[in-house]
Amino acid sequence: MIDLKKKFKKNQYENIEPEGTQQEETARTGSPEIPDGLFRKCNYCGSTIVTDEVKRGYYICPKCGAYFRLPAYRRIRMITDEGSFEEWDMGLDEKNPLEFRGYDEKLKASKRKTGLDEAVVTGRITIKGIPAVIGVCDGRFMMASMGQVVGEKITRAVERATEEKLPVILFTCSGGARMQEGIISLMQMAKTSAALKRHSEAGLLYVTVLTDPTTGGVTASFAMLGDIILAEPGALVGFAGPRVIEQTIRQKLPKGFQRAEFLLEHGFVDQIVKRENMRQVLGNILLLHAAEHASCNRKTISSSFTDGGKNKFSQEGADLLQNYTLYEDEEFTISDRDSQTEESEKCALTKETEKHTLSAWDRIQISRQSKRPVGSDYIQALFEGFMEFHGDRYCKDDAAIIGGIASFCGIPVTVIAQEKGKNTKDNMKRNFGMPSPDGYRKALRLMKQAEKFHRPVICFVDTPGAFCGMEAEERGQGEAIARNLYEMSSLTCPVLSVFIGEGGSGGALAMAVANEVWMMENAVYSILSPEGFASILWKDAKRAPEAAEVMKLTSADLLQLGVIEKIIREPEEYTEDTMDEPLACIREAMKGFMNQYLPLDGTELAEQRYRRYRFF
Amino acid sequence: MIRKLLIANRGEIAVRIIRACRELGVQTVAVYSEADNDALHAQLADEAICIGPAPSDKSYLNMQQIISATMVSGADAIHPGFGFLSENSRFVRLCEECQITFVGPSSETIEKLGNKSVARNTMVKAGIPVIKGTKDAVYDVETGKKEAAKIGYPVMIKAALGGGGKGMRTAFTPAEFKTAFQTAQSEADKAFGDRTMYIEHFVQNPRHIEVQILADQKGHVVHLGERDCSIQRNHQKVLEEAPCAVLSDKLRKKIGETAVRAAKAAGYCNAGTIEFLLDEKNNFYFMEMNTRIQVEHPVTEMVTGIDLIKEQIRIASGEDLSFSQKDVHLDGHAIECRINAEIPSKNFRPCPGTISELYLPGGNGVRLDTAIYRGYTIPPYYDSMIGKLIVHGKNRKEAIRKMISALGEVVIEGVETNVNYLYGILNEPDYQMGRTTIEYLNTHEIREQE
Repeated sequence: MIDLKKKFKKNQYENIEPEGTQQEETARTGSPEIPDGLFRKCNYCGSTIVTDEVKRGYYICPKCGAYFRLPAYRRIRMITDEGSFEEWDMGLDEKNPLEFRGYDEKLKASKRKTGLDEAVVTGRITIKGIPAVIGVCDGRFMMASMGQVVGEKITRAVERATEEKLPVILFTCSGGARMQEGIISLMQMAKTSAALKRHSEAGLLYVTVLTDPTTGGVTASFAMLGDIILAEPGALVGFAGPRVIEQTIRQKLPKGFQRAEFLLEHGFVDQIVKRENMRQVLGNILLLHAAEHASCNRKTISSSFTDGGKNKFSQEGADLLQNYTLYEDEEFTISDRDSQTEESEKCALTKETEKHTLSAWDRIQISRQSKRPVGSDYIQALFEGFMEFHGDRYCKDDAAIIGGIASFCGIPVTVIAQEKGKNTKDNMKRNFGMPSPDGYRKALRLMKQAEKFHRPVICFVDTPGAFCGMEAEERGQGEAIARNLYEMSSLTCPVLSVFIGEGGSGGALAMAVANEVWMMENAVYSILSPEGFASILWKDAKRAPEAAEVMKLTSADLLQLGVIEKIIREPEEYTEDTMDEPLACIREAMKGFMNQYLPLDGTELAEQRYRRYRFF
Repeated sequence: MIRKLLIANRGEIAVRIIRACRELGVQTVAVYSEADNDALHAQLADEAICIGPAPSDKSYLNMQQIISATMVSGADAIHPGFGFLSENSRFVRLCEECQITFVGPSSETIEKLGNKSVARNTMVKAGIPVIKGTKDAVYDVETGKKEAAKIGYPVMIKAALGGGGKGMRTAFTPAEFKTAFQTAQSEADKAFGDRTMYIEHFVQNPRHIEVQILADQKGHVVHLGERDCSIQRNHQKVLEEAPCAVLSDKLRKKIGETAVRAAKAAGYCNAGTIEFLLDEKNNFYFMEMNTRIQVEHPVTEMVTGIDLIKEQIRIASGEDLSFSQKDVHLDGHAIECRINAEIPSKNFRPCPGTISELYLPGGNGVRLDTAIYRGYTIPPYYDSMIGKLIVHGKNRKEAIRKMISALGEVVIEGVETNVNYLYGILNEPDYQMGRTTIEYLNTHEIREQE
């Protein structure tokens, strides 16, 4: 190719005076220069970023997506309704309990530098019109370490929230205890935790959002006590800091250790939420809890949201609530429960009307088919706004069980499902629907949460059995199952279990100590797999089809035995595409269930469940 | 006067700007991506700086890199060309903060005119005609019907979140309204999960007319007549001409003056274009204002004899307009064809590749703005337009003949182009009669002529 560059004659060879030279420089002011601070380098990826744009946005690097630390007031503006923030407890007296030299000066300097009162900002806000109490730690102020004033502000905010019956949201960020205040700083951990305990006992919601970095005494107190714990992506969260651990054990820590994703995997975080979605997620959580606070008197809340919409709540909140049709507005009400039940019985088979055209072994094969709808399909189809919560808060998040909160016809519910997955990769991740102890513990944690907020629990059961492996035994598979049976028996909220595929033994029962148990027509439920049954009794696993017949594990058999209350008819080919009819049937039946059980009080619900199992 | 200008663009427009600079005695700095090492603009400029990898977002859209290149080269101004960062108010704000002269309007103006509803309100206030429509969202048939009656039939029902023709229906009479509204709304509900609708007057078979204006920093504004850009495919202009074949002198004056008023209302400075829809009864409505130099600017240059790029640079340098409205005369007729490396028979799929053979036409009143040369490889990362053929004749008929003749001489081998397709349009009787509306290419089957 010809190198044109060398062939072209350019300006420097010309000898004509350029136009407009006389006027030159008159109209021009100053030569170009980049003002200080216009650009910055991202600490994580090193690329140049426009400071102002990052600040106007979510404080996220546009190149690598890293999260920069947020000033408290900016964070509050980001998630709350405009102008709704009312700050509390400013200007509390700073003490120097140890008379630590230089501490007073350091405090003054921090105040001056950050323009903050202390390392935490507290007050009252609304999100989507729903009121809440907020506390936001600001790492710029002495690394948001917890001194007496920080502890005091948080405690006062929580106490006031208890008094005013408001939920609390705390954004945590801290280097830990404030060394300059010594033992007094340590006492803040107990003080804040105690205030939160009272708040919780009043049946109120507490949400924490872990941000980078949350460590030491803050992690070991209010940060880990949320009913719901959210975290920002990549946030460092731990008790001991990574440097301290490395020095102690003389080992390099693996990449990602103590990051939010690590905590999620180890069961301590419900959900990792991106900054741009934080307002939405918090709003949804508040909404699902706001509606149910008045579950005893839904009419009051319904009217307070519609009539008082203009003064009490923002329009946005009122609009949103409109979408969450409240219980009383539904076409079905308690009075016409009987007609509802009749209606639902048309599609559900409560009596043994189905002809035995398929053998038990056939049904087992069908229940195991991979194209059969799985737990997540039911969740997607039956509920609105499902929000998944992860982790058992002890050790792990088990992907074989998914759970969280959602709304069913405007009623907040807790939904838990055993999940097999939809393709081979997903099957592996979900361990083919065989839960580990961590899964059962997660399920129980979510049920306890439901109980606190008097939310119905709906379980979908689909498991070949609890996972049989070394780690499962090490972590107490038996204990986990036993614990669920024990605790579920006395839950003071309605519990419904629906068997959608395989119901393998104790692994299934651990999610089926319920007020009612229903089964899909071709689901099965048994003490053991027919293969196992045949091999134990007859020492021949090949006689499984024969075993299947004698085990009485089909829905029709179980209905007759009184183990279940309802059978839901399935289409001939049951896949995700043919779910409509069974879904409509379940939906109707669930409305009936709600009508029947929601009005009962906790003791009645537990008593009914006790009797149900006492019968056998 | 600007001393050294950095051109934040590529292709023929970068070359066009470099040439204008050389006439003005302004030094030039080209920026180029790694894929544009051999590009003409990078070779023709006095200096060239590589600003990053091939994908646009890493090079021609990388604001920080371009600002750095400006600093490193010691340039005092940036010309954005069209596309890329030309209408990005954030970029312009950065230039302002760094005291770099941006050849174009201020960031504030760009932001204001880039926001549809703000722009519309500005124009309504200035008494510029806009298409009548509902201000508030409409959710039900009854309200919609009342609004439609106020607006006047035919009406267009549009989904607030609409796009790609979804959730859009036309009702020609009140009898059709209910069905049209319901179908549009249910379509919108399915596609976007939103039932918010707007209604506006439906302009039937309009022409796309746009007026070129120039405004200096003191607020003097002149218009340079109109361009007719009705021949469009998928909202992409294919062929443009000046003046519009059906505009009377009286109407031309009226539209021109309206455009000047619009530019003044927006506090506009530098070169800009005001787009209008012209209906069959010669009513015209403001659509939007483009705050940059446009692809089709040469047709205006050909009929006015004014070099728009040079004017842009002079205005940005703080000079006053050297002429007033009465000095602007339209002479003859000009047509521009956009030559793209694409395959019309395969749904106009882009066709990058190496130019193995090249012959370009010339002669009296024939202009070819391009950045390709023999042996050049068109990279696949950018727009497929590789050149613009512009002709100027005494009248429209002569211009058409000249364009047909010139197109017939274009030889580009190694890549496929739309030249035969353009040839087909020029030979259509309806085109030659000037019966062009924005629906032209949807209603005429163009045969590629070998």
